[in-house]
Amino acid sequence: MTRRTLQLTNRLGLHARAASKLVQTASAFDCEAWLEHKGRRVNARSIMGVLLLAAPCGSELMLETSGEQHEEAADAITELVENRFGEDQ
Amino acid sequence: MSLALTGIGVTSGIAMGRVHRLTPGELALPEYHLEAGAVTTEITRIRQAAQRSEHFLGNMMTRVSGRGSETARDLLEAHRLMLRDPMLIEATCERINEQRINAEWALAQQSEQLQEEFRRLDDEYLALRREDLEQAVGLIQRELAEQPTTALDARIPHHLDQTILIASELGPAELTVLSQRRVAGLVTEHGAPYSHSAILARSLEIPMVVGVHHALELLREDEEIIIDGHYGSVLTDVDDSLRRHYAEKLDATLRHRNDLKRYLGRPSFTTDRQPFCLYGNAELPPEFERCLAAKVDGIGLMRTEYMFLEAHLPDEQTQYLAYSAAVRTMNGRTVTIRTLDAGGDKLPAALELTRGPNPALGLRGLRLSLSIADAFRNQLRAILRASTLGPVRILLPMLTSVAEILQARQLIAECREQLRKEGFQIDPALPVGGMIETPAAALDIERMAPELDFLAIGTNDLIQYVLAVDRQDELVSHIYDPTHRGILELIARIVESGRRHDREVTICGELAGDPAAVRMLIGLGVSHFSLPPAQIGAVKKSLIECSSRRCRELVESYRAGNGAPNGSELLAALTEDR
Repeated sequence: MTRRTLQLTNRLGLHARAASKLVQTASAFDCEAWLEHKGRRVNARSIMGVLLLAAPCGSELMLETSGEQHEEAADAITELVENRFGEDQ
Repeated sequence: MSLALTGIGVTSGIAMGRVHRLTPGELALPEYHLEAGAVTTEITRIRQAAQRSEHFLGNMMTRVSGRGSETARDLLEAHRLMLRDPMLIEATCERINEQRINAEWALAQQSEQLQEEFRRLDDEYLALRREDLEQAVGLIQRELAEQPTTALDARIPHHLDQTILIASELGPAELTVLSQRRVAGLVTEHGAPYSHSAILARSLEIPMVVGVHHALELLREDEEIIIDGHYGSVLTDVDDSLRRHYAEKLDATLRHRNDLKRYLGRPSFTTDRQPFCLYGNAELPPEFERCLAAKVDGIGLMRTEYMFLEAHLPDEQTQYLAYSAAVRTMNGRTVTIRTLDAGGDKLPAALELTRGPNPALGLRGLRLSLSIADAFRNQLRAILRASTLGPVRILLPMLTSVAEILQARQLIAECREQLRKEGFQIDPALPVGGMIETPAAALDIERMAPELDFLAIGTNDLIQYVLAVDRQDELVSHIYDPTHRGILELIARIVESGRRHDREVTICGELAGDPAAVRMLIGLGVSHFSLPPAQIGAVKKSLIECSSRRCRELVESYRAGNGAPNGSELLAALTEDR
């Protein structure tokens, strides 16, 4: 199991496109993935769960992965967040 | 402290239950409980429907990709992720399993819960995402509808007997579905007490309050409320004492209704031995049963519009089955079948194209039927075939001229001749009557009456046309006055003409179900009434206990201008008389 704290630095936070990318990334690995924000814990493979976090820019998220590919998944998600989901700025 | 919302009560009953706010299209979804063995099948059904929806979206995405449209692709991608979302699909499967309900219903419930969570976030941006969710759910519902469940015998229909339904407006078709689901009570934001839905609610004895503004916003989902149809009130914040008070009141109402049953078997005479005749109004099978239980003298009005509400016109056989079932149920008592009375406030989907600029003055009633002669022939043939099983009368709606009657009679004769060649023996003297509900027909009644075998006064429309008031319009519905002297003048005229030509005159319409108004009508010389079975007890009691002579005196002096100063005082004086 991997637990990491991530900081959202992209301008729009976890809006639709960012949330889509995050869910797609989390779903690509053979593992479970959970995100926590302000006491709310959701399945990172659920688009509605991630949207319902309503996490704006600057938020801290706790990522938890477990299962066969937990490290790979955690790395990929971290990279996505740190690259600001590939947004322009 | 309880909060009360007010509207207009259409059924004088009380209902206690929990709020459910109706969302558009919701009633079209089937809702039922499953037998234990059918749960697995149902879970497979929703998973496959979600997969097929995903496949459908995948196809759409390859089509938009060529056009380099990033945003459209993003949107479709979001929908696709929703279709795989465990919060939607897995949670729906859990609902199917735990509540043993069908996939459509479980999906609608789960979607409503997610919508509620999005709403609670109160974020304008996320509010937009609710539309995505709606669209994704819509896709799956469409797939589910394509492949309905095969385990039909596993269905147990979902009952709403603890539910009070809140809607913007309700049509007659929706009301029929809700009645079958035994809904406890109904509240609508719009609508008026004389609308077709309100009439149907009254006849089915479903407590209903209409015209409660902003009810959908003010009432919370699942909140306990009480509605009182008599006062048109909706009570919230129900506490113990309120609940007890209304439970006792509800009990008293039921006892009162049982008391009225004693009158059903009594002979139909006023105190001064004036005979009267009570027919029932019915369209759905349960209503015919209720009419029988109310010991009616026959069916004075079988409406047929409900069969025409679908996208396609019903064929002859479908109609024959409905009419023949009615004739068989009534077992020797006359069944008066009114031909399609579409138009105005009740226009079937199949005939939507016939809507003109003013439906109330447009192609409706018999005018419409004559303009769709093939469909009209189907209906006439079905009625004529049903007449071989028991006494049947044909009633033509919305007459304005003698020519229309002759044209309809010609068609009836043609259909009878055709059927004779096919081996059916149809009574050539089968009575054909007409609804007198336009001022033209009422004023020209001396020429109309000889061409018809019986007359039926449709008071709802007659009052509407004579007073130039749309009964659906909340702004003027207070002007709708059945005691208007102009109305009484016309009814008296029709009754007189009926007597002269030896034609039965029946009152069909709201007035016939009102215990005070029937005394006014008997005072005008009316002796035949057709009314919903629910009101037979109260009306029969009112007539048995009145003196027709006294009623006539009160009505005549009111009409002459030296009796009761206004209609409500006339009705009050009539009710005091015993």
